[in-house]
Amino acid sequence: MSPELVFQQALNGLSFGALLFILAAGLSLVFGMMDVVNLAHGAFYMLGAYVALSVVQRTGSFWLAMVVAPLALAALGLVLEPLLLRRLRGRHLDQVLLTIGVSLVVVDQIGVVWGREVRSLAAPAGLDGSVALYGGDYPLYRLFVIGFGVALAALLSYVYSRTKVGMRIRAGVEDAEMLGALGVDTDRLFALTFAAGAALAGLAGVVAAPVFGLQPGMDLDALLYSLVVVVVGGLGTLGGAVAGSVLVGPADTFGKVVFQEFALAVIFAIVALVLLLKPTGLLGRIRIAR
Amino acid sequence: MTRALRFGLVAIAVAALITFPYWSAGWESSRFATTVLRDVLVFAIFALSLDLLIGRAGMPSLGHAAFFGAGAYAAGIASQRLGTDQLPITMGAAILVATALALIIGALVVRSEGIFFLMLTLALAQIVFAIAFQWTSVTGGSNGLSGVGRPVIGGLDLTAADRMYVLVAVVFIAVALLLSRIVGSPYGRALVGVRENERRMRALGYDTTRLRLSAFVLAGAIAGVAGALSAYSLRFVSAQDVGIATSVRGFVMVLIGGAGSLFGPVLGAAVVMYIERVLSSAIPVAETVLGLVFVAFVLLARQGIVGVGLAAWARVRR
Repeated sequence: MSPELVFQQALNGLSFGALLFILAAGLSLVFGMMDVVNLAHGAFYMLGAYVALSVVQRTGSFWLAMVVAPLALAALGLVLEPLLLRRLRGRHLDQVLLTIGVSLVVVDQIGVVWGREVRSLAAPAGLDGSVALYGGDYPLYRLFVIGFGVALAALLSYVYSRTKVGMRIRAGVEDAEMLGALGVDTDRLFALTFAAGAALAGLAGVVAAPVFGLQPGMDLDALLYSLVVVVVGGLGTLGGAVAGSVLVGPADTFGKVVFQEFALAVIFAIVALVLLLKPTGLLGRIRIAR
Repeated sequence: MTRALRFGLVAIAVAALITFPYWSAGWESSRFATTVLRDVLVFAIFALSLDLLIGRAGMPSLGHAAFFGAGAYAAGIASQRLGTDQLPITMGAAILVATALALIIGALVVRSEGIFFLMLTLALAQIVFAIAFQWTSVTGGSNGLSGVGRPVIGGLDLTAADRMYVLVAVVFIAVALLLSRIVGSPYGRALVGVRENERRMRALGYDTTRLRLSAFVLAGAIAGVAGALSAYSLRFVSAQDVGIATSVRGFVMVLIGGAGSLFGPVLGAAVVMYIERVLSSAIPVAETVLGLVFVAFVLLARQGIVGVGLAAWARVRR
């Protein structure tokens, strides 16, 4: 590999990592608070992308889509949590199974509403060009993705560590039952957490759409990668989502260059190593294996 | 019911199942029914193997399609590359590959439980799917593997639809018998013990990790058999056979029918195949129906159809 190619692929890897962070942050937040791995997370991501497609088609504004899609997904989360998950509070495995059913329905309905063809979404005006960087032209939008991911990580980190909401979230992650006993309305907190997780999935869908396009199966790719990121980085912590995505994004990108069709074997190997050597993930506290 | 009567009834049911294409030959829809029943039985084998994990050992695998798909690809590729359709060879290849893959994945996941087990089996199996999907030179990638031959045993050609059906039915009966023996054996009891209280089982001297791994590999091997039968039946292997859709389908079958019973997964396979095969030609949103049915069962009837039926029966008898 020439140094120019390495540089370009490193940027690709980082922009993929930034996308993975947006995705995994939502999955990890919901798990940390509710002990539920939301297997509809990929379906929410997909729905976010398709809602964005419709908003852009109607209004022409990508930026509006970046606001509307997460809000739409948050609304869906606010409905689904009390309607389904709350009924099985405490039965975590069954709650996870519910999210499988939700995902089947959401993905099928996306196919009904938007069709099952491959679609694309253009990068917003101003970001649709490329800039001359070391080794050639580089798409500006991908640089924006990196910046956006970093900014979101900083914002979430600020919210978690400096605000009252963040304090409650951290307390809930520590011990949701105790938080309830102290007088915090955990029903409301859980619904809002689930909604925030869905909104982050939707946001990731919007941001990813100009890079990866929209097609059937994108929900599963998103789910797979976000699961890998939280396993590798560590479940339930923001730092874990950052560490996982910064590792998995570039590893996957370089894997595709070096091993081509066996790129995912690299990811498989990373997951295997983490499971065998550090079952909490790099920065997590929860052991996912003995 | 006496033992002899019960045995007689089961024997009649088994014989009726195996000979279905012949006694139904007069029906107008006999051919269609034979095809659907064949596919139900293939998935019943798959669901039974998955239930050994979900219902008995308490290992909720969401990656079981990896072994189904591995078996299907192995049988298909063996038949094409080796130029033989001898059942022992292609089926042997399917079992070998599925078992090896189950050993690798199993070694990584058996130390996890519950949600984590589910999450890891899903992720690792989905990686296997992605590799199969992209390894076009061997698996055919998104086009799938077409032209898989129907098997022959020695000089006996099983190409005809009725013979293919009989093969599937016989294997189904054999797997059901095997699993019912396993479930009742000390080994099967030990698996349930691990599910119920692993620490106690370890204190009693059982190597619980090994027990769990052996169940995972056994279930994977049987899923490989189901995959091979699917490849023969459809003469085609699709990348979807390895994918999460198939894993979810198996999970839904076990849960709807009733986990931890022999009859439940089989019934679940029939219900799901009905929704997908028969209903999907009538309405375009079969997946939505499947999802809603699944949500309803998890919310309202977690024990599945068999569990609900048994509870109702117990109430009637009291």
